[in-house]
Amino acid sequence: MTACWHGAIIARGVLLAAMVLAVAACQQEGVPAEHRIVDGDPERGRAAIVAIGCGACHHVPGVRGAHGVVGPSLDAFGHRKLIGGVMPNEPTILVQWVQDAPSLIPETGMPDLPLSQAQARDIAAYLYTLR
Amino acid sequence: MSEKTSEGGIADTRKRAPTTEIEYPNSLPRPEGELEQLQKVWEPPRGLRLFSAVNNNYVGVYYVGASFLFFVLAGILALVIRTQLAMPENAFIGHELYNQLFTMHGTMMMFLFAVPAVEAMGVYLLPNMLGARDLPFPRLSAYAFWAYFAGGLAFFCSIFFGLAPNGGWFMYPPLTSTEYSPGINADFWLLGIGFIEISAIAGAIEIVVGIMKTRSPGMSLDKLPVYAWAMLVFAGMIIFGFPAIILGTLLLELERAFDWPFFIAERGGDPVLWQHLFWFFGHPEVYIIFLPAAGMVSMMVPTMAQTPLVAYRLVVLAILATGFLSFGLWVHHMYTTGIPSLSLSFFSAASMAVAIPSGIQVFAWIATLAAGKIQFKTPALFILGFLFIFTLGGLTGVMVALVPFDWQVHDTYFVVAHFHYVLIGGMVFPLFAAVYYWIPLASERPLSERIGKWVFWLLFIGVNVTFFTMHITGLAGMPRRVYTYPQNLSWGALNMVSTVGSYMIAAGVLLFLIDLARNFRPFTGNNAGDVWKAGTLEWLPSGNYQTRSIPHVASREPLWDQPTLAEDVVAGRYYLPGAPTGGRETIITSPIDARPQYLLKLPGPSWAPFLGALFTAAFFMGLTIKLYIASLACGVLAIAMILWWMWDTNPDTADHPVRVGDKLELPINAAGPASHSWWGTVTLILVGATLFTCLVFSYLYLWLVNGEIWLPSQQELPTLLWYALPAGLYLASSAAMAFVFRHAGKLPGSNAWPLRLALVLAIPLMIAGLGASIYGQWQTGLSPTQSSYGAVVYMLNVIQGIYVFALVLMGSFVLMRSLTGRLSASRRASVDNTTLFWHYMTAQGLIGLSLAHIFPRLVGMG
Amino acid sequence: MWDWPDLGDGIQSVLAPAGPHAGWVAHLSWLIFIGGGLILLLVVIMTTLAIFAPDRWRKGIGQRRTVIIGGIAFPLVTLTAMLVYGLGGSAALVSSPAAALRIEVVGEQWWWRVHYLDETGAIRLVTANEIRIPAGLPIQFDLKSADVIHSFWVPSLAGKLDMIPGRVNSYRFAADEAGVYRGQCAEYCGAQHALMAFYVVAMEQDEFEQWYADQVQPAAEPDLPQFEAGRELFLTNGCGACHTVRGTPADGVIGPDLTHVGSRVSLAAGTLPNNVGTLAGWIASAQHLKPDNKMPSFDNLEGTELRAIAGYLENLK
Repeated sequence: MTACWHGAIIARGVLLAAMVLAVAACQQEGVPAEHRIVDGDPERGRAAIVAIGCGACHHVPGVRGAHGVVGPSLDAFGHRKLIGGVMPNEPTILVQWVQDAPSLIPETGMPDLPLSQAQARDIAAYLYTLR
Repeated sequence: MSEKTSEGGIADTRKRAPTTEIEYPNSLPRPEGELEQLQKVWEPPRGLRLFSAVNNNYVGVYYVGASFLFFVLAGILALVIRTQLAMPENAFIGHELYNQLFTMHGTMMMFLFAVPAVEAMGVYLLPNMLGARDLPFPRLSAYAFWAYFAGGLAFFCSIFFGLAPNGGWFMYPPLTSTEYSPGINADFWLLGIGFIEISAIAGAIEIVVGIMKTRSPGMSLDKLPVYAWAMLVFAGMIIFGFPAIILGTLLLELERAFDWPFFIAERGGDPVLWQHLFWFFGHPEVYIIFLPAAGMVSMMVPTMAQTPLVAYRLVVLAILATGFLSFGLWVHHMYTTGIPSLSLSFFSAASMAVAIPSGIQVFAWIATLAAGKIQFKTPALFILGFLFIFTLGGLTGVMVALVPFDWQVHDTYFVVAHFHYVLIGGMVFPLFAAVYYWIPLASERPLSERIGKWVFWLLFIGVNVTFFTMHITGLAGMPRRVYTYPQNLSWGALNMVSTVGSYMIAAGVLLFLIDLARNFRPFTGNNAGDVWKAGTLEWLPSGNYQTRSIPHVASREPLWDQPTLAEDVVAGRYYLPGAPTGGRETIITSPIDARPQYLLKLPGPSWAPFLGALFTAAFFMGLTIKLYIASLACGVLAIAMILWWMWDTNPDTADHPVRVGDKLELPINAAGPASHSWWGTVTLILVGATLFTCLVFSYLYLWLVNGEIWLPSQQELPTLLWYALPAGLYLASSAAMAFVFRHAGKLPGSNAWPLRLALVLAIPLMIAGLGASIYGQWQTGLSPTQSSYGAVVYMLNVIQGIYVFALVLMGSFVLMRSLTGRLSASRRASVDNTTLFWHYMTAQGLIGLSLAHIFPRLVGMG
Repeated sequence: MWDWPDLGDGIQSVLAPAGPHAGWVAHLSWLIFIGGGLILLLVVIMTTLAIFAPDRWRKGIGQRRTVIIGGIAFPLVTLTAMLVYGLGGSAALVSSPAAALRIEVVGEQWWWRVHYLDETGAIRLVTANEIRIPAGLPIQFDLKSADVIHSFWVPSLAGKLDMIPGRVNSYRFAADEAGVYRGQCAEYCGAQHALMAFYVVAMEQDEFEQWYADQVQPAAEPDLPQFEAGRELFLTNGCGACHTVRGTPADGVIGPDLTHVGSRVSLAAGTLPNNVGTLAGWIASAQHLKPDNKMPSFDNLEGTELRAIAGYLENLK
């Protein structure tokens, strides 16, 4: 048993160091005011992206294993001008888009996803941190 | 001859007899020019001719160096693996490369590093330690080395073309069958590794004969250094273990190339047969790697503590016991295949029993450290590191031997951790200790103690950080051989720790390379010598000819017990202080009590082994990439090279005996069991017989597992005529050979033509026997592709055929010797050895025929 | 970025047992870890004493006696004890009580075909990559392979057992309580060995019976026009050549049965979470997400078509 805990302690030490180095990009501070989302938590958003599996279609920076090629890459999404190539990239539109894209553009391949309003806000908040 | 020896020998000095009482074999002063002649005949080649060097001081260093090169290359592959696994769902490399990398890492570390490295150390150290001038078949070791090096490099390069094998280092079919691995990647493994194993066997034969026949006079078995014991058992294990995997690779390659269904379940084969063959080799393999390393530790610990090894006899017994027990545990790699629980209990018990010999050795080293006083030199640090890592690996080994625990951890990172502890602890650390310890023999300067300590700490901490963590990773559920893993299973942090550790190991190895570059100066004619105040013969002052004179040994640590030994050896007071035949030579002694029997003339530098090895490697590579014509040409050339070097062996015993001591004259050859070549032949027959036995096992196993679909009921057996006819032909052939054997004793006195005629008769009779054996099956309509029954029946003939091919070459060689007047009663090694092999072949043929014709009738088939 | 290694709480951990089989092995594991740790400590202490202790002590250690006691007597006793204890326990595991349910699992490159069998061994229900069992009851697993060797392993419930072509390996285990456990192939089986996982979902007995009753039903008729369209597209694009959806003309047997695919926890043998989005992604780029698997990437579909098929499949609860 002792051996196991030792391993865990060593692991934790190394992790701590890695955490300190990890970029604090997950807060909304670097995000311009017009892209901030009230009550949106980018970190929760990232977890939701993992849980829902956005990576099956999109390349999402900062999300491990999200290398999808079906939809567009979300690299530098904070600088993106249009959503779906049609609508302006604004928080209200984005929140609706991640939840139910077909309601905005009926031809899209992106389905309406089983996300709550809060989850959609978190995801949108995360996407705006990608700059 | 032996009577003369005992008179010529010196008194037993074990009781530290005063030097004045010693009766030296040779008196002083030595004649003018004797030493100069010795130096001249042993003068090493220079420049490009370094490739033609054959003596162990050169080939041994090349061999160790090459194995270390493969260690570094395979280590770099491991770093790429660790980088990919550092984080979950990493996209650093893809699955195709990853699967090739782990296959290559395991395969190279086992076949291109571990086994060759310990074999290489043996080639380098044994003659030094035994007091011989060289190993008995120097060209064979040169051939084995170059074949391994060329084949290994070609094998490694397959990774640059995306052709590297990707079926895992144990290559389980049906994943590795043509259906699921259609590319030639798997063929690279099967042909490349099969070939490198043949090279390992060649080395093992060399080592067995070297240890049994070329020891210093007086070095009876009870005075044999522990390392030599370990190497003897090592070589024996290769001889009995490797044939199983060679047969396995042959079967799988035949299945891939010609659709012979040995492992295809629908046609009566069984994929688990491969696992039995593989692990029957694969488990002893672990001890094949560990025993030589443990033997080295048993040499270094006494020197580091400046006291003889405690419990020498128990340690030797432990080594022998490990050798035997290790062949009874192969199933412990197969606990999860659904084997009945009774046999699981047996193998579980056997797996635990093997821990006892390891325990004996560990406590013998601890006791020796306590009996003396340790000097904290770099080798000592590595030995202490080894004790810790190996003990931990041994303990987890006992855990995985426990069946229910193994059901959980089998094929997980726990097992990865376990075998890295065992192999790194049990082999790599002792090897580093050994390199630091013995480099003063090979190099003008020893390695740096200061850098050495850094190397040790980086490796020790790195290994524990990397691999201790993996135990936990495995228990947390991570299977081995996965190129990626999901982020939600908590394996990311553990893997990151292992990756950091692996880079520490790499830093340690890099530092070691820097130390080598700064201080390793081999082949200069000078060496740093006995820097540790050690007790065994390799530390006598030496040149390329080893010691000036070959000492008479009276204890296990002659340098400690005979204080003037070095001085007397250098002065030439012991045996063979010069080169009386004008060429290279060493003394052949009897296997148990080491009495001088004859003087073996050794070859000097030669291109035949180098070229022969290149052609052999090209032959196998040609087969792999399907260039059959070029491949065949290389095969013929390889055989020509081997015959070239065989031609000048076996000089005439009737030539004058040679004086190796004031009162000791030795002949320059011997016949029968006294001859080193007889020992070589017997060892080779053991290899062949083991391979054949594995095939018999495969036959019986397939019958047992798949009896009902194995032999289709409509398949009729050949009539017994087809049993009697080939059997009769084999026996007639053997009878003709017996005549050859007897008649050779009458030469040169009587006419040689009856002998030649009998030989010309014996060869076609043997071939006809084989032909009749095959035709007998063929005429019933049996085909090797329709079922595994057909495949295995024809396989009996394939093996017989491969051996008959060798036999025909040997017979033709004897005929050529006779026609050129090189065969007589006093010069008959070729006929002795060929006859021995001939009779064995007849026996094997009869067993094969009985299995194919009688066994099915006994069990009521056909 | 990383989760803390949380060994006691995983869904795929030897040290987080959730059934009698895994529980006993976890108990045994801790026992041998502690024992092994003590022995390692002993060797370290002995070595330290051999080097640093006063001469009188060292003289005592530096004898043949040490080798006989430490190297022979001690391991003989401990190993025998461990062997008897370990084998006794595994005998008990093997002779577990009669099975309440028989499930046949066939390993295929790189997914799991699951058959629920009746008493006669006939197949009653076909599903894939997910095994639902009633909690608290011993379940018999009959393991087979359709191609190469795989190994069936749910660490939290039991040890692994190989799936070997030409053989059937069987064993029994149970889950103590309702919960989701993850399993993974443990024998290297080719390109996507890493992405060959599955889930075992243990349910309360009555819930299980309800689930089973639902699963043996054919697929429900689509209740919305877009699902209707999805079914049409599913059939016209030839999905039925490989997949079965009971109640439709799709009756392929090469790939997983999709009759109730929407009710499963994961997609593509544990590769992706299962929802309409990942279904769409998988259909459009199966070769990108899991290269070399037998399903082609359907990159010929328009956005609306893709959504329709994914929606239809997700609705197959």
